[in-house]
Amino acid sequence: MKPKAIEVQNLHKHFGEIRAVDGVSFDVEHGEIFSLLGPNGAGKTTIISMLSCLLRPEEGDALVLGHSIRKDPMGVKSVLGVVPQEIALYEDLSARENLTFWGKMYGLRGARLKQRVDEVLEIIGLADRAKDRVGKYSGGMKRRVNIGVALLHKPQVIYMDEPTAGIDPQSRRNILDSVVALKDQGMTVLYTTHYMEEAQELSDHIAIMDHGKLIASGTNEELVQIVGEMDRITLTINAESQRVLEAWKVVKGVKQVMAEDGSITLLVDDSNQVLPRLFETAAAKDVRITSVAIQEPNLEAVFLHLTGRALRD
Amino acid sequence: MKILDIALKDMTRSFRSMFALIFMFVIPLLVPVMFYFMFGNIARNDQAFELPVTTVVIVNLDQGSPEFQQAMANFPGGMQADSLGGLVVSVLESQDFADLIQVSRAADPETARAAVDQQQAGVAILLPADFSAQFSTLEGQAVIEFYQDPTLTIGPGIVKSILKQFMDSISGAKIAVNVTMTETGTTDPALIGQVVGKYMASQPQGDPTATLLNIQSPVQMEPARNPILGIVGMVMGAMLIFYAYYTGVATALGILHEDEQHTLPRLFTTPTSPSSILTGKFLGVLLTVTAQVIILLIAARLIFQVNWGNWQAITLMCACIILNAAAFGIFINSLLKSSKQGGVVFGGVLTLTTWVGAMPIFLGFAGNTNPTVNTISLTVPQGWIVRMLMDGANSASLNQILFSALVTLAWTLIFFIVGIWRFQRRYA
Repeated sequence: MKPKAIEVQNLHKHFGEIRAVDGVSFDVEHGEIFSLLGPNGAGKTTIISMLSCLLRPEEGDALVLGHSIRKDPMGVKSVLGVVPQEIALYEDLSARENLTFWGKMYGLRGARLKQRVDEVLEIIGLADRAKDRVGKYSGGMKRRVNIGVALLHKPQVIYMDEPTAGIDPQSRRNILDSVVALKDQGMTVLYTTHYMEEAQELSDHIAIMDHGKLIASGTNEELVQIVGEMDRITLTINAESQRVLEAWKVVKGVKQVMAEDGSITLLVDDSNQVLPRLFETAAAKDVRITSVAIQEPNLEAVFLHLTGRALRD
Repeated sequence: MKILDIALKDMTRSFRSMFALIFMFVIPLLVPVMFYFMFGNIARNDQAFELPVTTVVIVNLDQGSPEFQQAMANFPGGMQADSLGGLVVSVLESQDFADLIQVSRAADPETARAAVDQQQAGVAILLPADFSAQFSTLEGQAVIEFYQDPTLTIGPGIVKSILKQFMDSISGAKIAVNVTMTETGTTDPALIGQVVGKYMASQPQGDPTATLLNIQSPVQMEPARNPILGIVGMVMGAMLIFYAYYTGVATALGILHEDEQHTLPRLFTTPTSPSSILTGKFLGVLLTVTAQVIILLIAARLIFQVNWGNWQAITLMCACIILNAAAFGIFINSLLKSSKQGGVVFGGVLTLTTWVGAMPIFLGFAGNTNPTVNTISLTVPQGWIVRMLMDGANSASLNQILFSALVTLAWTLIFFIVGIWRFQRRYA
């Protein structure tokens, strides 16, 4: 049986009183995109740091292409590329100088190094700006170089820790396309994000995390099945949400209610039957519903179902 | 190889920073430049002290007198002239003053004054027709007209001094003659000539020009034992030490900057061992300080003519500065939690330790040579460096500064071991 690309076994890590990672286990198959989905502080970056050998787990182990993060950290580092959440580049060096330096750190030399730098500059679409200092680049261009560094040594496994955080939609689109392209080249991608849409679009497998624990795992379809045939209704009203919240919780067919950012989200069995009851209850409380949106079940609904909170909390 | 790659990358970044370049090279050279302009001429004690040559135009209209000619027959040293005016001219034209005054003659006072007015000459000396006659009579008063360019001070002052001292000697002889004539009632020219001769012989070296001028300059009084003891050299030495340590600390601060800018954690995700990364960072500091020290040494030599002394001693001293400044930078930064604390280091620790270490330079400059100062300065590594600098500049041999070098290297070893240990613990 072919070994997994990544095997994570019961990882634990805490910082003071906070349990950042609490007994997390999962496997990543070769050549798939595996997403860790969860809100900020869920423990995604801590897992990536442990799998990159930056942090040592207190318990558990993980194998990356058969290399143990505890026993063979240099072996792990040599087979993976890491795209950190933050831009980790030298702004006073050009893109070419950055790539050349990082290529040397991955053991590339001479003609092979130059060839890979040229190739990566083409891949990230910055060949014509290669001599410009990174400090002069836009946020999106820096993100592309940030990814390019991790591709230099053609790793078999690549970690991408929230690579689209804080960038414009066009750059985000470019990055998502490049992640799919990496998969097409046979790379295994471990991707972390708190954007449900990204996880849905990219991933072969998704693990949902919250408070350091892995609370659900599977394909997008498998996860959505957790909430079954439930619909997700998002409403806005012309009054304080508290005036109807408790009343809506006991309406027949309503499974879960959550208020946030001026809107109220409900998981319901059948939106066609439940919606009229919601209007009636609101009218009884002298509250007027000003907008309604009905969505198919998705990962947001799954997270809401599992935690009682919105994913972006 | 990766160690060198990291070091060269850090060095490249340092030399691309305008801020770093200013603090590494511009300010260390700018401070001595200010001192150079303030004290430059005094401090350049490796050059000869030169007085200006003054052009003197003499108009000698003196027609002489029998009494004076009789007296001249008894002058010692073979000096002869047919008039007092002629004697003045021969004194001024003597080889003894050839490097101070250049004498020419004019036919009449108007021509001589015009030469001064047109700044063709600095001084005009006008000797009247009755100069000797007035001198020779008891009641007479010999007068010299001294006409000078008012814009000049030193040259005319020297000429006036020569004339005054010469005339004082001659006046002494006249007083002796007057006393003899009054006491004996004689007017015999032969007797008067003997009196003049004896008086003049009693003057130093028997030569009326012998003590006319004694010019002293700092160089001639006591040449400086070594140029480094000059003000500019001392300041340059202190600047070299302070800014070498500044560069050591500032470049090592790059470790914390890289941590905060996330490039250091990323380095740790590459197949490069943490010890190689930290060694590369240290080598980067070392190479940057080396480049700075070498450039400053050469620049100081070319710009200020600072003579750093024995090349073997200065090489050893530079090695000590470079190693100690780099290790000091690693050590100090290993104590910091973040780069934001760097300001305190630059403003406090660095200034304090360098000031204590460089006290022998600055207090010595102010005239304080208290041995306690030297002892206190040796409580910090910079003090031992300063000691090497001053010893080396005084042409000390390699063996003579070896002890200071060993103490500095011991400091270096402590700084390096503690600094690297703390960083390794932090990033383990």
